[in-house]
Amino acid sequence: MFKNYLKIAWRNLLKNKGYTVINVGGLALGMAVTLIIGLWIQDELTYNDYFKNKDRIAQVFQSQTFNGETGTGPAIPRPLEKALKDGYGDSFKHVIMCSWTNDHYLKYGEKSISRPGNYMQPNGPELFGLEIIKGEKDGLREINSIMLSASTADALFGNEDPIGKTVTVSNEHKLNVSAVYKDIPVNNSFNDTDYIIPWEKYLAVNEWIRNAEDSWGNNSFQLFVQLADNTTMEQVSNSIKMVKQDLNENSREFDAQIFLFPMKDWYLRSNFENGEQVGGRIKYVWLFGIIGAFVLLLACINFMNLSTARSEKRGKEVGIRKSIGSQRGQLIYQFLSESFIVVLFAFVVALLMVLLSLNGFNELSRKEISFPWGNIKFWGASLIFILFTAIVAGSYPALYLSSFRPVDVLKGTFKTGKYAGLPRKILVVLQFTVSVAFIIGTVIVMQQINFAKDRPVGYDKEGLIQIPTFSQDFNGKYDLMRAEFIGSGAVVEMSTSSSPTTRIWSNRSGFIWEGKPEGFQEDLAWTEVSPEYAKSLNMKIVEGRDFSRDFATDSLGVLINETAKKYLGMENPVGQLLRDDDDEDPNPPLKIIGVVQDMITQSPYEPVKQGMYVYDRFNNASYYNLRLNPDKSASQNIATIERVFKEHFPDIPFEYDFVDSEYGEKFASEERIGTLSGVFTALAILISCLGLFGLTSFVAEQRKKEIGVRKVLGASIFNVWNMLSKDFLKLVVISCFIAVPIAYFIMNGWLQEYPYRVILKWWIFALAMMGAMLVTIATVSFQAIKAARANPVKSLRTE
Amino acid sequence: MLLQLRNIFKWVQQGGQRVFLLKDINLEVAEGEFISIMGPSGSGKSTLLNVIGMLDTFDEGEYDFLSESVHTLKEKYRSNLYKEYIGFVFQSYHLLDDLTVEENLEMPLLYKKVKGSERKALVADMLDRFNIVGKKDLFPTQLSGGQQQLVGIARALIGNPKLILADEPTGNLNSQQSEEIMELFKKLNKEDGVTIIQVTHSEKNAGYGSRIINLLDGRKI
Repeated sequence: MFKNYLKIAWRNLLKNKGYTVINVGGLALGMAVTLIIGLWIQDELTYNDYFKNKDRIAQVFQSQTFNGETGTGPAIPRPLEKALKDGYGDSFKHVIMCSWTNDHYLKYGEKSISRPGNYMQPNGPELFGLEIIKGEKDGLREINSIMLSASTADALFGNEDPIGKTVTVSNEHKLNVSAVYKDIPVNNSFNDTDYIIPWEKYLAVNEWIRNAEDSWGNNSFQLFVQLADNTTMEQVSNSIKMVKQDLNENSREFDAQIFLFPMKDWYLRSNFENGEQVGGRIKYVWLFGIIGAFVLLLACINFMNLSTARSEKRGKEVGIRKSIGSQRGQLIYQFLSESFIVVLFAFVVALLMVLLSLNGFNELSRKEISFPWGNIKFWGASLIFILFTAIVAGSYPALYLSSFRPVDVLKGTFKTGKYAGLPRKILVVLQFTVSVAFIIGTVIVMQQINFAKDRPVGYDKEGLIQIPTFSQDFNGKYDLMRAEFIGSGAVVEMSTSSSPTTRIWSNRSGFIWEGKPEGFQEDLAWTEVSPEYAKSLNMKIVEGRDFSRDFATDSLGVLINETAKKYLGMENPVGQLLRDDDDEDPNPPLKIIGVVQDMITQSPYEPVKQGMYVYDRFNNASYYNLRLNPDKSASQNIATIERVFKEHFPDIPFEYDFVDSEYGEKFASEERIGTLSGVFTALAILISCLGLFGLTSFVAEQRKKEIGVRKVLGASIFNVWNMLSKDFLKLVVISCFIAVPIAYFIMNGWLQEYPYRVILKWWIFALAMMGAMLVTIATVSFQAIKAARANPVKSLRTE
Repeated sequence: MLLQLRNIFKWVQQGGQRVFLLKDINLEVAEGEFISIMGPSGSGKSTLLNVIGMLDTFDEGEYDFLSESVHTLKEKYRSNLYKEYIGFVFQSYHLLDDLTVEENLEMPLLYKKVKGSERKALVADMLDRFNIVGKKDLFPTQLSGGQQQLVGIARALIGNPKLILADEPTGNLNSQQSEEIMELFKKLNKEDGVTIIQVTHSEKNAGYGSRIINLLDGRKI
């Protein structure tokens, strides 16, 4: 019996090719979208799964409150390590101090590369469960050792055996390769860690870190823990809450609280607002999950609509089958099996689509998702997915068609009554509601991105490059290099800074100034710069003057930004002093020499932070900022700069970034959402239109006789077109009025997350509605005009 | 006694009034009869046939089929009864266009849950008997009207029914084809003892039967 159904289904598909393309194609498209989104969600949810102890690992976090605002983050002071080990040793299997992930130069022989890596205490690799390919498991015991990732070892040593060889780090520290570990996968918080160096080495080469051993105020380190077996995350987290305040009186002023941030939350739920965990990327998992479900729903609706629309044709078959003894249950079974076959077919097509588009999608979403061929769970889930889709898509036609009375359909008196089309209409309305809401959402996301992009950045980011200078080799060479670069003709101005133009790496507090309110806990962004900073960036000086090499006193000068002027409450800031509030060993006071325009260094969606630019007296430069010669092409300039750079630093790899593209990175996440939602919207509209197209053709066929009669009675092509289109247009208009408030509500909520946001305008909604209607008219007209132009004699004779 | 209709009424509600399609029909059919139902258009011939064939319901009266009271049976039992004993032949053949001749013939057997090997044998028999073996792989649209009706009759017969109901079986055929079909019915009736009830407009066709029932406005006359 099933074979018979299969035959009928297959021949039906072949016979009605247009219908098949629309139905299978639309469904396959919907399934492909859902599959891709499913793979993406799976990838998001399995982030950090590489770490075997995922459930037992946490990072130690700290919340502190300044001026009533609670900030939460991973930066902790060094004494916390000892406090946890001494006071709570039983609760932990491992307590591991760790540096931030920073770029260093690695050199072996002639090969020199720049890679990010970490300093870690010896049990770090064990805590994370790194897979050691070569060398010793315990590779961090010896202070002058280094563990390399497989790809880093490959880049440095090629075919040579790296174990025991000496790598020069930052052009000065000679470290022996003790182990090679398997590359950490991309969907992992530590995917950047290309090598690990012992924590002891970190202490040995940095005096300020050694000095921070007892400093509770220097929050500059990371601490990772693995829980002991007999305890839970919550228990431990609660017990260590007050550890800092108990041991350090000063931290009570800021209500410093210590807690464990479990690894399973690192990626998806990493946002904190006023000390509370408030989600994070998980909202995009939900968002895309919902989009995927909706797109699939749209495709299923098409399937239902087209199947029921074809009921007139299938009606006869139902009648015959019933008249030769079929029961209703058997017909339901038949239609469901047909649906299953079509869905299975569509699934195969969808798999092809996914395979073809996966690379593009990976690029778009910055993922490395591979197709899970060998994953039994995936195929199991797929089967459930197919069955589910088949039942959802096939249930309505199955129940509807099988209910026909044979006498009616065979006699030809069968009429889809006045309300038979109602469910179909509701489904069309649902489809277009989703589509219109998608259109509005996408337009608003794009608008928000453009709005933030159009925001003045406060400096000239075009034609500006930055070169990292993370090595002692650069110390004291600034004036020389500046002269060389400018002399080469490729650079018109140059400066150094302690953090990149597009970031804030350091914040300071502890200042005293005239008129400082009682109890005010200030917090200012802190960048150390060379005197030419403002000039090289083309920043505008609003008050006072720029740094000048002519004034020796400028080495204790500071530029503040406009927000800082307001923040510090100074009417006339120029000439005012910022003193250190340390009574015992104060730094010399800083004198404000000028005010510069606000410059966006952090999120382009947020207000600029109050900040200060201080004369760099201690060689704290991390970057060269070069203003390229605008008269030459960028590639010419870069070639010249590289040549000059290599003359002076032959052992250091030449690396640079264009500041405008670094700045563009700030939009990456929103742009990705914009692009993805754009793509999904286009697909949703396409699927809806496919359905509408199919539906119109059936309605036109159904009403062929009516159209013939009307034409004989004198109806023009326009009359007929109008008659056929009007019905569908009405439905779309209804959809618009449902979609607009929903979209408004959701998008308004989304925008609230951005302090700097676009204002929703009514015309966006009007435009989306117009767009939907135009698309509808275009889709419907093709069939409507075709039907209207047909010769009435033909259509009447067929009866 | 094959079937018996007692005081059958069927009506539809139209503008608050009852319009009778069948009015007080009494009919007894013995096994082996060949009955023709005649009457002008709209007199209720097809309705009566459908009621007998259990494809349609009635509003009043009693209907016994092989001493089962059809009017009290549940849908499922009725369907079983019908599957077992009744075959239908239509004016416009009503073959399934997507299936070949062979597959069309097989269909009722599938619904009767006949086993595969037996099915094959029965279909082969039937193809042979109707001399359409050569056409078994063709689709209905590739056949002439007469051939299609032949397949239609073969399909009705394949389940070995006691009763064949034919609704103007020759209405779409030319005179020569008509004659062949009617001869076939006659032969089936005489040689195989199949009871036949046909609806027809043609006096000539009615002549093949053993009894004629005339209807006018839903009433037997």
